[in-house]
Amino acid sequence: MQTSKKAVSGTTIGLVVVVVIVLAGFGAYVAFYSPGQTTVTASITSVSTATSVTSVTSVSTATSVSSITSVSTATSVTSVTSVTTATSTYLPGATVNGAGGTLVFPLMSSWIFGFTQVQPNIQVNYSPVGSGAGIAQITAGTVNFGESDAPLKTTQYAALPANSTLLTIPVSGSGVVPAYNIPGISSTTHLNFTGDLLARIFLGSITMWNNATLTPNGVSLVSLNPGATLPANPITVVHRSDGSGTMYAFTQYLSDSNSLWRTKVGYATSVNWPVGVGCKGNAGVAGCIANTQYSIGPLEIAYQIQNPGAINYGSVQNHAGHFVLANLTNINLAVQAGASAGLPAGNAQWSSFSIINNIYNDSMDTQIYPITTFTYALVYQSLSASYAGTSQAQAVGLVNFLWWVVNSGQNAGKSIGYPALPANVVTLDDTTLNSITYNGTPILGS
Amino acid sequence: MAEMIRLETALTSTRKFGPRRFGGDQILKGLVGAAAVFVVLLLVALGIELTEGSSLSLTTFGPGFLTGTTWDPVHEVFGALPYIYGTLLTSALALLIGLPIGLGVAVFLSEKVRGNRLFGYTLGTLVELLAAVPSVIYGLWGLFFLVPVLKTYVETPLHAYLGFIPLFASVPFGLDFFTAGVILAIMIIPTVSAVSRDILNAVPNSQREAMYSLGATHWEVIRKSVLPYARSGIFGATILGLGRAVGETMAVTFVIGNTPRITASLFSGGYTLSAVIANEFAEASYPLYTSALIEIGLILFGLALIINLFARLLIWRMTRTTRFRV
Repeated sequence: MQTSKKAVSGTTIGLVVVVVIVLAGFGAYVAFYSPGQTTVTASITSVSTATSVTSVTSVSTATSVSSITSVSTATSVTSVTSVTTATSTYLPGATVNGAGGTLVFPLMSSWIFGFTQVQPNIQVNYSPVGSGAGIAQITAGTVNFGESDAPLKTTQYAALPANSTLLTIPVSGSGVVPAYNIPGISSTTHLNFTGDLLARIFLGSITMWNNATLTPNGVSLVSLNPGATLPANPITVVHRSDGSGTMYAFTQYLSDSNSLWRTKVGYATSVNWPVGVGCKGNAGVAGCIANTQYSIGPLEIAYQIQNPGAINYGSVQNHAGHFVLANLTNINLAVQAGASAGLPAGNAQWSSFSIINNIYNDSMDTQIYPITTFTYALVYQSLSASYAGTSQAQAVGLVNFLWWVVNSGQNAGKSIGYPALPANVVTLDDTTLNSITYNGTPILGS
Repeated sequence: MAEMIRLETALTSTRKFGPRRFGGDQILKGLVGAAAVFVVLLLVALGIELTEGSSLSLTTFGPGFLTGTTWDPVHEVFGALPYIYGTLLTSALALLIGLPIGLGVAVFLSEKVRGNRLFGYTLGTLVELLAAVPSVIYGLWGLFFLVPVLKTYVETPLHAYLGFIPLFASVPFGLDFFTAGVILAIMIIPTVSAVSRDILNAVPNSQREAMYSLGATHWEVIRKSVLPYARSGIFGATILGLGRAVGETMAVTFVIGNTPRITASLFSGGYTLSAVIANEFAEASYPLYTSALIEIGLILFGLALIINLFARLLIWRMTRTTRFRV
């Protein structure tokens, strides 16, 4: 009797077991998962940077400890040769979420890593969902900070919550180079381009590499490059297929340089390209150029710096008339020049501001690289407001993170192809960050 | 006592097989029923969300969205025709190339090496492995390997000798409809072959034996008996493959050139519905733009629906006629 009863309800028992297992698993996950918890280091042999050591039971030899920020309990430490700094200024634990452009993602990852070395209790998450989506998310208050390669448009400002002030904080710059693949041109030769010629190539009105027809400005590909033997082959235009800040900068530069481009195509993260093929991502553009002889395409400088010599690229004429080959120094100088022409205040609307236009119109500096752009962090000025969706601990973590990014993190980008912000931009950013409040009290002032 | 036990056993067995039982079966029925309803609700919710999200674009452009050929985010002009064209053309190419190969693999596995563990089993597993490769891998492989190879060894000769045909008219660049079709063909081969093989395996041996007894060759058996018998199943496999080709995004966007263009030439860059969503959605910066991209999604959804309905109709017609013939 009993056995048959069991057989009857076998399915039920099976289902109950499955449900119990699922619930137990979920319970265990909730019970044991607690983000941002500090790790316990049992024994340390050599530590360059130990961000957080809760309890050390026994360390036999630690030859070199550069910086330990906080050690709660250390039962037995036999010998520590040198401890440079030992401070205990940890911020309260918080998880800060951000979302936005993809251009800045490698740099952001490096910043987040660097910041957690200093503030281990603050966990920063960044989703490279794209600038448009980043703006949408900060508007909806679903992230603590947004990030965008282009400043907000007036319509986007209008969509922000009522009585809110969204701060615009330039956090890094980037340059765009005209990369090309022309067999027969050595990698030590860098072709010269003007913005107008680039626009004509990307409009499809210049179609051959050996084009010698002078433009109204009195130049041609051949006249600009007397030292190079340009082949009689058609130019294949390559561009990004996905919307990107790199294309925003490049198309805005073309708009500044050529009136037909400005009226026919314009500038945006995605435009209606008159000619050419689209390739996905920076690496995709690089791949398309490398695979296609006689092609040209705009490539982010970060790619060139991380893959030196992979693809040849040209010099671009700046407004002073000099042909400049992009590097981090002249991009930094360009940002500085663009910023000294006047930046809006952090709490102002940046819609009409364009660093490219500023650089383009700056005729003074002979060294600056013209196709240079900003990328911006977007934060609400009053973080305690309900639309900001930010707790006090998150607000403190966020503002400290951005402060660290602007003031200490700028060198992190150099090895991966991002120029450091010039001093005049850092000063503006610091003023902006100081103005961020929680319940009316400045976060950094306290 | 013994009688009592027997009675109990009888009672239990009645309960075991009787129609009115409460317990495991009822719960199971509820659970699987809920799963089925859930899928339907999901589909409805998807349709509603897509329509709602694209309402701005629907009201702005109306039916002109389907026939518009310009896609200009700067000037806020959006038309979907080049994307629809690209999706249909690449899917058709994929079927044209992938179906014979996939079917060939299935016939080989089912008719030539059936039961051969070493060969049949290994090959079958390898083909199914193709289906497990993530599409982004196909995309990268396509961009860095397939594009140069196809361009040099297939497209350039075709253009040189058959360039007078509009299909091969434009100068090959590698990133075009043709490459996208080839990539998609590779991706649908495992689907088509795995499903077709199972269907061919299910063809009763009496069908084959009858043909052999009439003196037919192996080829005749396959062509006149096995394939016609499995016709509707193979058609179903084709539709599964087509479904994959229509919706495929990552692999295509790497190799198609991402140019919204309508031309007869296979060697010209193109664009597909799913690729434009993947490429532009993240940076779509104003409501109409986002809305237009969601409408592209709605079109894709509708296209998939139409293909499926059409397929069902064809299968229904086919099975109706074959019933009287076989």
